[in-house]
Amino acid sequence: MSAYAIQTEGLTKVFRNQWAGAELRAVDDISLSVPAGTAFGLLGPNGAGKTTFVKLLLSCCIPTAGRAMIFGQDSSRPEARRPVGYLPENHRFPTYLTGHDMLDFYGALSGMDSAARRRRIPELLHLVGLEERAHHLRLSSYSKGMLQRVGLAQALMHSPKLLVLDEPSDGVDPVGRHHIRAVLQELGKQGVTVFLNSHLLAEVEQFCTSVAIIQKGRVALSGSVEELTRGSGYRVEAVDVPEQLATELRAGARSAAQINGSLELFFATREEANGAIDRLRAAGVAVESLGRTRSTLEDVFIRTVEQKAA
Amino acid sequence: MNSASLIATLALVRDTFREAFARRIFWGFFVCSSLFLFALAFIFRIDFSAGPPMVHSFQGTLAVAIYYVGTALSVFASASLVSVMFEPGRIELLLSKPVSRTHLLLGRYLGNLAVVAANVIYLTGGAWLIFGLKTGVWGGGFLLSALCMIFVFAVLLAVIVLAAVVLDSAVVATMITFGILFAAAILAQRFSIERLLSSESSRQLVELLYYVLPKTSDISGIVWKLSVQEPVESWMPVWSSGLFGAAVLAAGIRHFQKRSF
Repeated sequence: MSAYAIQTEGLTKVFRNQWAGAELRAVDDISLSVPAGTAFGLLGPNGAGKTTFVKLLLSCCIPTAGRAMIFGQDSSRPEARRPVGYLPENHRFPTYLTGHDMLDFYGALSGMDSAARRRRIPELLHLVGLEERAHHLRLSSYSKGMLQRVGLAQALMHSPKLLVLDEPSDGVDPVGRHHIRAVLQELGKQGVTVFLNSHLLAEVEQFCTSVAIIQKGRVALSGSVEELTRGSGYRVEAVDVPEQLATELRAGARSAAQINGSLELFFATREEANGAIDRLRAAGVAVESLGRTRSTLEDVFIRTVEQKAA
Repeated sequence: MNSASLIATLALVRDTFREAFARRIFWGFFVCSSLFLFALAFIFRIDFSAGPPMVHSFQGTLAVAIYYVGTALSVFASASLVSVMFEPGRIELLLSKPVSRTHLLLGRYLGNLAVVAANVIYLTGGAWLIFGLKTGVWGGGFLLSALCMIFVFAVLLAVIVLAAVVLDSAVVATMITFGILFAAAILAQRFSIERLLSSESSRQLVELLYYVLPKTSDISGIVWKLSVQEPVESWMPVWSSGLFGAAVLAAGIRHFQKRSF
């Protein structure tokens, strides 16, 4: 089996309106590799092409050029999609089915026999936190949050090796979101590759190890969350710094903040930070903490999107 | 077919049944058929002292009536069952499963056909039983006519599938299918029409359309003959309609395979 759960080569989708003579490059020459066993986040503003990319990946959409592979197999082959669990955005599950029956149906489409489905369904409904009484209620009476939970259970039905989730927390309350994240983290520990398409950047930052930001159908930035959010500077925090020394250090720092007797200093280089630490220690001041400055994923996202737009 | 394919096929057929139940399509047919059978059993006086020919003649009339009314109702009911499958948010999830597009479409097609077949068999089987019990005449022709009805519906369902895949509209799919039924009824009178046409090319066009399109009117004649236990001179309307249905269904599958959702 391939070391990559997902690989795309020059994946392109152009939508053409022959009547109006217009065309839209929804996905434009995307080549992306997602190693097996990682948690990968796909980010981008509305209309960037994220959902089209996912649809191309799962062969719901026919590419104009390029190809997508799942564990080394062309995703247009039905067999290639066997290890995939998918929760689409704006899903429309058959509302005439109960939660139990819905899982049974999609489990059968994944090739599970009835004994395996009977075993797995109650297990999963409990895992996603759906109460017993909801199992045999029609989906038409489910709330949005309940539909997301049962949708996640559907994606997990056949114990997939790759989980593709398009806005999985959409409409879920914070407790439910926490619950979903815990489930995903557990799956991550079991080696399941999670491909997350979400607007909730904090959620992606907490869960994913790598991300790609796409804009106007192209990859604008990609890398590990650690690398992307690592700032270029250093932070030194000390307490009870004498006033004179604090003033001198502030003057040499890129920025500084005083919070409840604690002084936080931000330096551009390692040498500057080390020089400040030497001076603090020479003055007998205790250094409370030190480290690299970090950006949030949201900072990175906004910076990338604005740069590309400019 | 391996076991995973079989499991998926059965799931698709069962899902179509469930949807037909939920939309009350199945129950609608079932209640109408049951009311009719009740009337046949308890209200109509069936006393055919003239013997089997009279019974068969009545069965023939009934079979043709069921053929036309049943076909029309089935087309109405089925168009939405096919097009609903392509709804955004639903189709993506189906396509993400390890099932080919051909398999998905044929599964839905078979499910839809099974819904209608179950009702046709219930109605004709019930009527056959009532006739047999009341008159002692048990000819199997009337039952065979049910197969013709199911066959014609299978051909028309192929049209519904193609129209729904291409146009994404249950209403337009229904209109096109009824258009074909209407055209078939007119083309069945092709000799009369051809007498009214001045050019040879027009006459050839009418001939061509007659042979290409399903011959639903001609098949109603076969339904009658089967019911009244008369020999069928030509099965051409059946096999040529079958070819049309197969070609249309293949076109529907081909379009579905190339379509982006």
